[in-house]
Amino acid sequence: MAIVAQSSKFSTYGRPVLAWGVGLLFFFPIFWMVLTSFKTDADAVKPEHLIFFTPTFDNYLNMTDNYDYWRFATNSVISAVSATAFTLFVSVPAAYAMAFNPSRSTKDVLMWMLSTKMLPAAAVLYPMIFLAKSIGLYDTHILIITVLSLINLPIAIWMLFTYFKEIPKDIIEAGKMDGVNTWGEIKEILVPLAWGGIASTALLVFIFCWNEAYWTVRLTTIDAATLSKLIEGNRAPEGLFFGRLSAVSTAAVGPIVVLGWFCQKQLVQGLTFGAVK
Amino acid sequence: MSDRKLPRLLQAPAVLLLLVWMLIPLGMTLYFSFIRYVLNSLRRPEWTSPSLSNWRGFGNYEFVLKSKDFLLAIQNSLFIVCSILFLTVILGVLIAVLINKAFPGQGVVRVLLISPFFVMPAVNAVLWINMILDPVLGLQGIAVAGINEFLDGLRQIPVLGGFFSLWPEFEPVSFRATQTSAIAVIMMVTWQWTPFAVLIFMTSLQSEDQQQKEAAVLDGASTWSQFRFLTLPHLGRPIAIVVMIQAIFHLSLYAEIEIVSRGNGNKNLPYLIGEFANNNIGAASATGIFAVILANFVAIFLLRMVGKTLME
Amino acid sequence: MGRIVLDQVSKKFGDVEVIPPLDLTIEDGEFAVFVGPSGCGKSTLLRMIAGLEDLTSGNIEIDSEVVTEVPPSKRGLAMVFQSYALYPHMTVRKNIGFPLRMEKMAPDEIDKRVEAAAQSLNLIDYLDRKPGQLSGGQRQRVAIGRAIVRDPSAFLFDEPLSNLDAALRVGMRLEISEMHERMQTTMIYVTHDQVEAMTMANKIVVLQAGVIEQVGSPLDLYHKPQNVFVAGFIGSPKMNIFSGSEAEKHGAHTIGIRPEHTDVSMTDGTWEGRVGVAEHLGSDTFIHVHDTGLTDMITVRITGDISVKHGDKIYLTPQADQIHKFDAKGQRIA
Ligand SMILES: Nc1ncnc2c1ncn2[C@@H]1O[C@H](COP(=O)(O)OP(=O)(O)OP(=O)(O)O)[C@@H](O)[C@H]1O
Ligand SMILES: [Mg+2]
Repeated sequence: MAIVAQSSKFSTYGRPVLAWGVGLLFFFPIFWMVLTSFKTDADAVKPEHLIFFTPTFDNYLNMTDNYDYWRFATNSVISAVSATAFTLFVSVPAAYAMAFNPSRSTKDVLMWMLSTKMLPAAAVLYPMIFLAKSIGLYDTHILIITVLSLINLPIAIWMLFTYFKEIPKDIIEAGKMDGVNTWGEIKEILVPLAWGGIASTALLVFIFCWNEAYWTVRLTTIDAATLSKLIEGNRAPEGLFFGRLSAVSTAAVGPIVVLGWFCQKQLVQGLTFGAVK
Repeated sequence: MSDRKLPRLLQAPAVLLLLVWMLIPLGMTLYFSFIRYVLNSLRRPEWTSPSLSNWRGFGNYEFVLKSKDFLLAIQNSLFIVCSILFLTVILGVLIAVLINKAFPGQGVVRVLLISPFFVMPAVNAVLWINMILDPVLGLQGIAVAGINEFLDGLRQIPVLGGFFSLWPEFEPVSFRATQTSAIAVIMMVTWQWTPFAVLIFMTSLQSEDQQQKEAAVLDGASTWSQFRFLTLPHLGRPIAIVVMIQAIFHLSLYAEIEIVSRGNGNKNLPYLIGEFANNNIGAASATGIFAVILANFVAIFLLRMVGKTLME
Repeated sequence: MGRIVLDQVSKKFGDVEVIPPLDLTIEDGEFAVFVGPSGCGKSTLLRMIAGLEDLTSGNIEIDSEVVTEVPPSKRGLAMVFQSYALYPHMTVRKNIGFPLRMEKMAPDEIDKRVEAAAQSLNLIDYLDRKPGQLSGGQRQRVAIGRAIVRDPSAFLFDEPLSNLDAALRVGMRLEISEMHERMQTTMIYVTHDQVEAMTMANKIVVLQAGVIEQVGSPLDLYHKPQNVFVAGFIGSPKMNIFSGSEAEKHGAHTIGIRPEHTDVSMTDGTWEGRVGVAEHLGSDTFIHVHDTGLTDMITVRITGDISVKHGDKIYLTPQADQIHKFDAKGQRIA
């Protein structure tokens, strides 16, 4: 309690003011985007309407006409959801095996998996385009889902591995004594116990899939194009469409930011592979 | 026991998928990097499809090494990544220490702070380069214009105006321009990833040994020496992890560069590859191999540094 | 039924041989206790019997059937873990019924058996709680309940009481003993605790570095330890053991005398020494005696209270028929 007793003027006034200042500063660009999204395109670039303006929902109501928003959004949802599902489908059993039946090579396999994440995507860009085109998968959901799953697989396995390792080995062994088979072990013990970990892994993978911009931009044209592609395609509105662009941007990131608020804690544990708790 | 084989079987799909993902495209890149291969060529139509008869040896590598963009791209890659790492770690530690102690509204500040991390990179870039940094219509332009107007007003004041007329007009900075676009990219990525560093450092600070701190207070340690000798060493591991994870993500930075400047004077390796890949696949592939080598250097270094501690 | 035979069973972890080839038979209905110093391989041996650990060589038979390759759940054994290993996401009812559900038993039948087990373990009121809401002792009972419902041919316990406080430990010890009396099922029990071993076992197996030092009834081990290790390991306070001229007088390389088999006098006796610390337990007094010239310290145990203090001169006389003699190899001389 000695530390509390020492509380200085800084603790009572300086810290809250400074902290709020930093928080607001970091949030400001998002706030600004949301604010701009309620301005007309004309108001958005007028200094006199910087703060005072007549709010309008038109930018949101016209998202379909202006940008065909829902088509891109649907593609984003389809690819992110499917890729997340597929990633989990592959990574849960793998992480289970590595956490509970490790062999001598398990550590190396895990390290190797992480290192594939460091393979620069650009290095294999053209072969991917070439392969995709030659088997007729270019600009399809299947292709995007596969690629998104593959790039997130290492992180998912790592995250799950660290969550699974926290389950006491005794419980798994008790299960073995009680007569569960491997499938039962996953279904009856592992999944219920690591439910939180699996959910946060899913959430994080989903966020990464949703935000991915390299492959989704390069491997799609129209049919499977996601929101990243939509925004990237409107990168330079030359000041003409700030209002509508802000609206579509807000619609693209809003759900994910809110989702992110709810999984901060898991995010830390997951992204640092349990090394920081 | 059949119990033995099943686990192997369970991890097989993941291992195989990643192996295929690594080997096939990478093998093709390696192959393309040794042949002449372009997408369009009226003069040499035989080069437009990959074939061993177009073997070029290390020609593509020489071509890439000689191109002035290549060195620039490597420099730029390192400059961008290192700047971001430096800024995010410093800001991250400072902010984490700042908001780690309880104060009114701590939870809300946390939420405000973490938000940028979830913004998709494409939106991040579009938002910053247009709505915020645009030299005329963005906040920057508006702010600079406002300041200049204000100064103009001051100049009208008798007597004092003479002093202000010595001041120059402020010039807004164009962040789409050659020299400054890298700065814009660093700015927006730092904005996005500082929250990540803060979050991790904060989590780590919460596990700091409070008794140790109290002992230090009793021993008469100043706030600074507490920070220097207790907090900073405690943050060593999280800092290493933040560096590793960010390096993974930022070495392949792409959307931001594309959106900010279309690589105008600000190419990093991924961008350069993308540019080559518009036509000269051989060169793009050779550059890709260089990128892999660079990434491997970084990866070996980082995994050495951090990997082992992750396993415990 | 539950006769368990280990035939030349051994275990290596990598290159380290934790258990050299070993033979052991546990008869049906016996209460066998494995004791030994930490790290001697008790748990490993138990887990090999359970099937949780592969054998490096040898065979295990249960009721004359070789089960070496049989998976754990098919061996008809039930295990109680030191950490209890309850399924935290299931209620007590689900936990106890889990092995039966895995056997695809009809739900009514499962309910009936779970209720019966809960009744006998005083868990009826807690059936719908999760393990997190139970005390340590209750958790232990649930773990035992989960073992009982399976009606196993043998129970395996790995230090089941070591996470309980002293009072509960005594209670649970009695309960497990009573359970054994009632069911007459084979039990194998690993413990660190002397008292548990001595009071519960029909047969104690003393292990050291994976080697069986002696197998026998508690009193066998107490009265006729086969070697110096067992002599020193069984009994509390420890037997006083020393070599030298005093041992040679008895025709042995080493002799041992238990603290409770040494008479004390303030005036005369065989060995003279000085009181170091006297521990008064009320019922007994332990006196640690120095400067006897035999070994650093000799401990004696006297029934009742005796007033001695630090530095007093004291005389000790071993009861002649209670002296244990060992040869140079540490083996008992008949
Ligand atoms: N999975 C393993 N890998 C390598 N060595 C192991 C493993 N499990 C146990 N050992 C080693 O085998 C030896 C016996 O371990 P075991 O757990 O059986 O000892 P124990 O007698 O039960 O000890 P304690 O009384 O402390 O529980 C120890 O030296 C231990 O380090
Ligand atoms: Mg043990």
